[in-house]
Amino acid sequence: MPTFDVQQFRQQFAFFQQQPEWVYLDNAATMHKPQAVIDAVTQFYQQYNSNVHRGAHQLSQRATTLFEQARSTVASYINAQHSHEVIFCSGATAALNQIAFGLMHTVLQPGDRILLTQLEHHANIVPWQLHCQRFGVIIDVVPLTPEHQLDMEAYQQLLQLKPKVVSFSHVSNVLGHIQPVADMVTLAKVAGAITVIDGAQGIVHQQPDMQQLDCDFYVFSGHKLYGPTGIGVLYGKTEQLARLTPIFAGGEMIDSVSFINTTFNKLPFRLEAGTPNIAGAIGLSAAIKWLQKYNNQQIVNHKSLLLKEFYNGLTAIKAIDILSSSVHNAGIVALNVDSEHPADVAELLNQQQIAVRSGQHCAMPLFSYLARPGAIRCSFAAYNTLDDVNRCLLALEQAVEILTA
Amino acid sequence: MTLEQLLADTKPALLDIQQRDLTEIEQAKDWQAKYRVLMQLGKKLPAIPEKMKQPELLVKGCESRAWLMHYHDKTTDKHYFVLDSEARIVKGLMAIMLCLVNGMTTAELCQFDLCHKFDQLNLKPYLSQSRGNGLTAMVNRIKHCCG
Repeated sequence: MPTFDVQQFRQQFAFFQQQPEWVYLDNAATMHKPQAVIDAVTQFYQQYNSNVHRGAHQLSQRATTLFEQARSTVASYINAQHSHEVIFCSGATAALNQIAFGLMHTVLQPGDRILLTQLEHHANIVPWQLHCQRFGVIIDVVPLTPEHQLDMEAYQQLLQLKPKVVSFSHVSNVLGHIQPVADMVTLAKVAGAITVIDGAQGIVHQQPDMQQLDCDFYVFSGHKLYGPTGIGVLYGKTEQLARLTPIFAGGEMIDSVSFINTTFNKLPFRLEAGTPNIAGAIGLSAAIKWLQKYNNQQIVNHKSLLLKEFYNGLTAIKAIDILSSSVHNAGIVALNVDSEHPADVAELLNQQQIAVRSGQHCAMPLFSYLARPGAIRCSFAAYNTLDDVNRCLLALEQAVEILTA
Repeated sequence: MTLEQLLADTKPALLDIQQRDLTEIEQAKDWQAKYRVLMQLGKKLPAIPEKMKQPELLVKGCESRAWLMHYHDKTTDKHYFVLDSEARIVKGLMAIMLCLVNGMTTAELCQFDLCHKFDQLNLKPYLSQSRGNGLTAMVNRIKHCCG
């Protein structure tokens, strides 16, 4: 196998040709799209645009075929047992909302408990909170160790409270830490809990294997896997998807309707009300097919190298407070300049055309635990180069110099 | 510390900014020079003490928080402000904004076009950032004081 050629990889992103002066390190927010994805979306609109599953004409049949092929592509990428276990939605947030809403009453009864962790994104906290409050379900939270890792001992103790659902992220969106998801699923299963994994940041780091991981639900967004925005995936085991009350109703999810009773369509359509994001699904499928031409281990190695260089460089800059661990890290580094507000650091980087995110990254409970007003977040993707790393380090040095002058 | 004291401390600071720093920002030879001045501006304004930062004074940006205190002198119909931000660059930008509006009458404040003024100082890009730095939210809060 030839080695990973970052320049060849990067060349497929028109963005970097259009904006060569920018160093883009905001990949955890959204990634750039390769030409293969842009072409697939354009081609759909130019050649096949039609609604799916309902047209009495060949164009619709063609669109339906492409859409269902996209579902199969995703299903096989994550090694789902069945294609219908892939539900298309607008993104990880929509998927988590569907799961939280859908399990209330059918699975979760008043007085039941669910288990989340301290480092979840708001999308894996607030939907639960919203429905748990109404239904009288109790939320427990797994704390972190002083090294900002999940406290696995506390996790096991909290599992003894018999939560019906355990929901946690594959990779922390702030710290980049890869969670021990396989162990966490196994332990949760022993405790009899339904397992939900927020794969928003995990999906691009590691191709997840649903049958091996054996979780009940896994969700992710297409735009964090080189795909378009507005498309995401809710994976669920057939028997678990069947327990979800649909959060949206209308359109294709219906089998028959009368004012006395409505019966629902079968999976996956039962959970896909309304016209789906057809072009988005086709774009996501194109992203996956394109990505599969590369060796994932080589991409992981490349990102590890970038991360190593970045950490090395950071230690040479004075007054840097690094929140992320360099081990078991998927390529995200949260940091601060000592006693400076992250918004100031980010603005000084912005002036030097380094794109990072600053703030609390939709994870306020984590930051109250970390006792910091926020952080800047540098997140790396396979198309980033050592030159990007060095430019970011130089820009940080310049920012520190201006701030501490 | 009282609002009166803060207002009294703010006034000479704004005058100083107006007389010295604005030209320096306009004539800055590079972005580094401009930002060095901007960050000094925030330091010139008095800080609102923590215990005075009541929730109703909070103006939220996505990345940082700021606070605005308002005093309306009914006899002269003039509006005076005190502000603070946890981010230095934002506080500097807000200080410039304050230079322009502090002491305006209700009618003047209502008609005031900050975009135009910021354009003259080459600072307009900071206003178009939708909610990031909270500057637009601060403008809206100030404008609200005249309504």
